[in-house]
Amino acid sequence: MQLGYLPQFPPALTQPILFGALLAAGLLVGEAVRRYASLPRITGYVLAGIVLGPQFSGLLGPDALETARVLIDLSIGLIVFELGFRFDLAWLKRNRWLFVAALAECVLCFLAIHFTLLYLGFQALHAASAAAIGTATSPAVVMLVAHDQRAEGQITERMLLFTAINSIFAYVALTLLLPFLRMEQAATWTLAVLHPIYLLVGSVLLGFLACVAMLGLARWLGKREDRQFVLLVALVVLTVGVARALNLSVMVALVVLGMLARNVDRRHALMPLRAGHGGQLFFVILFVLTGASLDIDALATAGIAVAGFIVARFLGKAAAIYAFSRATGLRRRGAGLLSVALLPMSGLAVVMLHDAQTLVPGLRQELAAVVLAAIAILELVGPVATQFALRRAGETRPEPHDD
Amino acid sequence: MTESASDERQFRRSEHGSIGIELELQLVRARDFDLARDAADLLERLEKRSLGGTVKPEITEGMIELNTSVHERHGPLLDELRAMREAVVEEAGILNLYVVGGGSHPFHDWTERRITPSERFNMLFERYGYLAKQFTVFGQHTHIGCRDGDEAVYLVHMLTRYVPHFIALSASSPYYQGEDTSFQSSRLTAVSAFPLAGHMPFVADWAAFLEYYETMRGFGIVASMKDFYWDIRPKPEYGTIEVRVFDTPLTVERAAQLATYAQALVAYHLAERPCLPTPAVYLVNAYNRFEACRYGFAGEMVEPYAARKKRIGDDILETVAKLAPHAQALGASAVLGELAELVRHGRSDADWLRAHRGKAGALEDVVRESAARWAGEAGGEA
Repeated sequence: MQLGYLPQFPPALTQPILFGALLAAGLLVGEAVRRYASLPRITGYVLAGIVLGPQFSGLLGPDALETARVLIDLSIGLIVFELGFRFDLAWLKRNRWLFVAALAECVLCFLAIHFTLLYLGFQALHAASAAAIGTATSPAVVMLVAHDQRAEGQITERMLLFTAINSIFAYVALTLLLPFLRMEQAATWTLAVLHPIYLLVGSVLLGFLACVAMLGLARWLGKREDRQFVLLVALVVLTVGVARALNLSVMVALVVLGMLARNVDRRHALMPLRAGHGGQLFFVILFVLTGASLDIDALATAGIAVAGFIVARFLGKAAAIYAFSRATGLRRRGAGLLSVALLPMSGLAVVMLHDAQTLVPGLRQELAAVVLAAIAILELVGPVATQFALRRAGETRPEPHDD
Repeated sequence: MTESASDERQFRRSEHGSIGIELELQLVRARDFDLARDAADLLERLEKRSLGGTVKPEITEGMIELNTSVHERHGPLLDELRAMREAVVEEAGILNLYVVGGGSHPFHDWTERRITPSERFNMLFERYGYLAKQFTVFGQHTHIGCRDGDEAVYLVHMLTRYVPHFIALSASSPYYQGEDTSFQSSRLTAVSAFPLAGHMPFVADWAAFLEYYETMRGFGIVASMKDFYWDIRPKPEYGTIEVRVFDTPLTVERAAQLATYAQALVAYHLAERPCLPTPAVYLVNAYNRFEACRYGFAGEMVEPYAARKKRIGDDILETVAKLAPHAQALGASAVLGELAELVRHGRSDADWLRAHRGKAGALEDVVRESAARWAGEAGGEA
């Protein structure tokens, strides 16, 4: 009997199958943890990823993760663009202490981690790199929790503002450390200096050019929300692609694009961004994949260094926020909630660590274990912390069909 | 409740002809110009500043209410309003919020609104359901002092004739839920949905009014006088009558002008007693009110005392002329002159809002421009 029309068994794992399965698995586990454990959906997405990932069931192998890399980039691109788009320079002008507070938050957090790691016996340069990575709050987590809980208010706005600033700070700090790390690897001096310049200037320039194109096209399209939305997505995806192709930073290019689009648009050609259901798709994918690539084994090595890293990171952030809470006009008890809301660490940190490792192989053993373990812990704890903080601040909205 | 209800029977004598304003204002976020929900944070900041009047929360979290103190004249009232505006705009800026006038937010979605947590507001939400959230509209309540309850009842009857004037002069809610309603003022439609909206019954004096009130209380329909959502109502604990049909205008300057217009009307009626109350005022009220909401100055109203139709704008101009001696006595001739100019050029706040949508294209831009106008920034005029 000729049965050549039948597919081979088992059928090939095509991209649509992979994509659909990821979405469904994330959705189901996310909903389950929300219903039965009152945990944020993101925690469910991450758990689904861990279960599907190479370290558990292995349904998502390293190959699948590599194929999905483009999805991660796109998701991060869209999220970071929105983060930049919510960065309001006019607010910082009216409330100057806010910028001081955000910078202080970066610096104190960096120093706290750095000196803790030094105290624990890490080498200065490596401690500084870890501290730079640790300064960043996860843009994806805070943005998703804010969307998911439909949070509105001062704590939410400040959380997003601080996240935008500390993400940029982290990237710039790490990039500036590169030459020194390179020198350690006995690379040539010119290479060590030119590379950071290429990364920073190139990424900013790319964001700037994309912004010029976006504003020009928006003016020509006119004020129609549907058209403008397509325009935004088109330019964001394009910028992500170009940044990848030119080995630039997706994060910096997109944050700059968002910030400029919001603050340079003097004629108000762009309409405010409203999140639709489309964004949700990217969030699910992003966090399932993040879960799958989490280094669970790193947790086994978790020890004093990891605990020190996490505690120092939190205290550094909290100290700055408390110090400036009155000056920035934060309500009573707001400082504590904002500090807790800024805990999450995730995808962005993984990417930065990954980049640092490829450039500087020696980084691997010394430091990676500590940072990866901290990421793994905060990936799970962070969303819960942020959701708790925003709920306690009274800025979230109960879902209409909540049980 | 019962205690305040028994107090309510006493009409507190107040300086006759004095004025005070309550202004309900929109609080919008800078990000997308939609209504914010940070009223509590803003109020906490304002507590630390000494203002002439007070600032209070309102039923949903994107609303605040400015209350001025009591004034005799337009000038000091306006000074105080300007000082309050400055403080509120500055503190809102710290929180990245804008304060905006206007009777309605042009595009907010009422289902998104959240009730300000407080016993009274929760009770209202419990009672009125979605009406409470739809009640996210913004009015100017103007108090005018009276000597006693009988005078208050008389004045309510008299001023009802001018309700279409008040509506046309203040109209600033042409947009509602993202649509051009084709009305000059759409706000009053949201008020009309409440069971106790409407007008005071045609009672002869304060004693008759109290009898009516006690009857309604006996039925369990109202618990206090606050439950009457009338266009104009007596407010015995302040010793005033309260005109509630004004949309919140786009500027404090207009707010003070409107209050002064009502003040001059009161002075005129008390000094000249030009006519006796007639129930005909209430027969034509619903029609007049609709015409004013829909067409503004161009609407036609029935003049109940002459039993004929007139253009609302023309009637305002005639009234302003009649008020001239009283306006002069109040030092407010120029103020009424400005209102007359407004009518002659057909430039209500609603027209301003529509013109700015035409220029900018999107309703977000209308809110941004209104915020600049409220703050008194350059470009806000015309």
